[in-house]
Amino acid sequence: MNWKAETDEIARRRQLALEQGGTDAIAKHHGKGKLTIRERVDKLLDPGSFEEIGPTAGAANYNENGELDSFDPANFVLGFGRVEGRRIIVGGEDFTMRGGSPSPAGLRKSIYAEELAVQYKLPLVRLHEGSGGSVGGTSGKGGASLPGPVNAPARFRSVAEAMATVPVATAALGAVAGLPAGRLVASHFSVMSKATAQILTAGPAVVARAMGEQKTKDELGGWKVHTKNGTVDNGAADETECLTQIRRFLSFMPPNIEQLAPVIDCDDPVDRTDEALLDIIPRDRRQAFDMRRIIRSVFDQESFFEMGAGYGRSQITGLARLNGQPVGVWANNCKFLAGSMTADGAHKARRFMELCETFSLPIASLVDEPGFMIGSQAEREATIRHGTSAVLTAAMTTVPWASIMIRRSFGVAQAAHYGPNGYVLAWPSAESGPLPVEGGVAVAFQREIAAAPDPEARRRELEEELSARQSPFPRAEALGVHDLIDPRETRTELCRWVDRIQPLLPALLGPTRFSIRP
Amino acid sequence: MIKIELETGGSVWKVLTKPGQRVEAGEILFILEVMKMEVPYEAPISGEVLAVHFSEGDAVEEDQLAVEIAE
Repeated sequence: MNWKAETDEIARRRQLALEQGGTDAIAKHHGKGKLTIRERVDKLLDPGSFEEIGPTAGAANYNENGELDSFDPANFVLGFGRVEGRRIIVGGEDFTMRGGSPSPAGLRKSIYAEELAVQYKLPLVRLHEGSGGSVGGTSGKGGASLPGPVNAPARFRSVAEAMATVPVATAALGAVAGLPAGRLVASHFSVMSKATAQILTAGPAVVARAMGEQKTKDELGGWKVHTKNGTVDNGAADETECLTQIRRFLSFMPPNIEQLAPVIDCDDPVDRTDEALLDIIPRDRRQAFDMRRIIRSVFDQESFFEMGAGYGRSQITGLARLNGQPVGVWANNCKFLAGSMTADGAHKARRFMELCETFSLPIASLVDEPGFMIGSQAEREATIRHGTSAVLTAAMTTVPWASIMIRRSFGVAQAAHYGPNGYVLAWPSAESGPLPVEGGVAVAFQREIAAAPDPEARRRELEEELSARQSPFPRAEALGVHDLIDPRETRTELCRWVDRIQPLLPALLGPTRFSIRP
Repeated sequence: MIKIELETGGSVWKVLTKPGQRVEAGEILFILEVMKMEVPYEAPISGEVLAVHFSEGDAVEEDQLAVEIAE
């Protein structure tokens, strides 16, 4: 007698697992324009690369003869797979069963995702759609699930460890509430589908009961709310674009903190110059310019991947390549609140620097910083605290920095844009000092201006006089910058820098002194 | 039709277009003043301006509808 009966049973159970919540539940899910978790996993991964963990985990019901009557697979799908040939861990809730609220086996697999990623030192991708625990418990209303013992491992330790060890990318693809929402944001990159996702600490029914607030899921936690407040980094038109963005993010990242990010072949010449950069900065200091245009010109063609464009919008953060080397890019956006350091911009910048520090990515910083945002709203938002947090984060980084002084570099806030021992180059349009002359002159020369026969003319005179002193030439004479450069040659200069820092990168590997938190 | 919404609040410094006018992609439609910076808004497409929803000197808010252009 062989084991054919048992192997048949294994095959049958595997088949049952693929049926998920059943034909009707899947049809209903598709009817809402959504993919099932298995379709999501397949779309994310290289074709045929999914190696599932625990497909036969679930709730089995047996008849009196001890034969399998029915089988409810765990409602979390988990496994290994490959993205662009590189192995990752992927998992996500199955919304077609219990609305993604964890079943006992589903919860075990879900918790295992981070542990697997840390154990195998592989990037983790979580594709979320589901809610947290039910007051009925994971076993349902009649179930007798025991509360966790006092000596159970801290539930969120592995989530934090994963963030300190491997790249974690997450997507919100449907309604994500409670625990899955917490895990969604415990990531280095998160994206939500504008077409199908909401992110909710608690859903409309709980909110109505507790707060008396009547809101729809979209009003509470749709993309218009969460791409602007930094809950997620990016929005995407639909589920497919979410997965494309995650693949893109992973392409810049090393598999873990013990390895360097992959350098790819680059056919964009390192000595490519761009004439447009000669006049991109208007000589009139009041006129704004397009920082993203500079970024697109300087870094490898089409390589810039922006993260967090919707919030902290005075700051631009993202990943890009210089001669194939992945780097973090941070720049000011003078079109939004003059590019000043706001509370949310500082939070975004801090998280971004921590990402670069965790994964040993060099930082290229394009500086046009007028200072901390001021005014009553800025004071209410504790801008000075969040801003100083960014400044001190920069001061503690160990990755190589190159900072290009594009235009303004003022106040305490400017210090956040320069790393320790960073390489600093200045465009001819660079100005620096304790504060921009326009504000500073009015304060420092208040009496002199008031006493002048023509106060307005005297103010302008003083502004001109002082702005001349903020020119980059005296700074270069004092070796206050490594060099003044022709803006057209910025790419060449940065590519040279990237080449020079190569020998420094291996020494950065391993755990960092501080790790990234949501 | 393309609706241009404002990225930030501020005041309208210059309006360089009017309804009925033909504009080319990249042409500056209006300039806001935000935190002492002049922030130009360019036409994202070539087409005809259908409506301009403010005048010079107006105080404006983030997400406010500014200009509508028909292809």
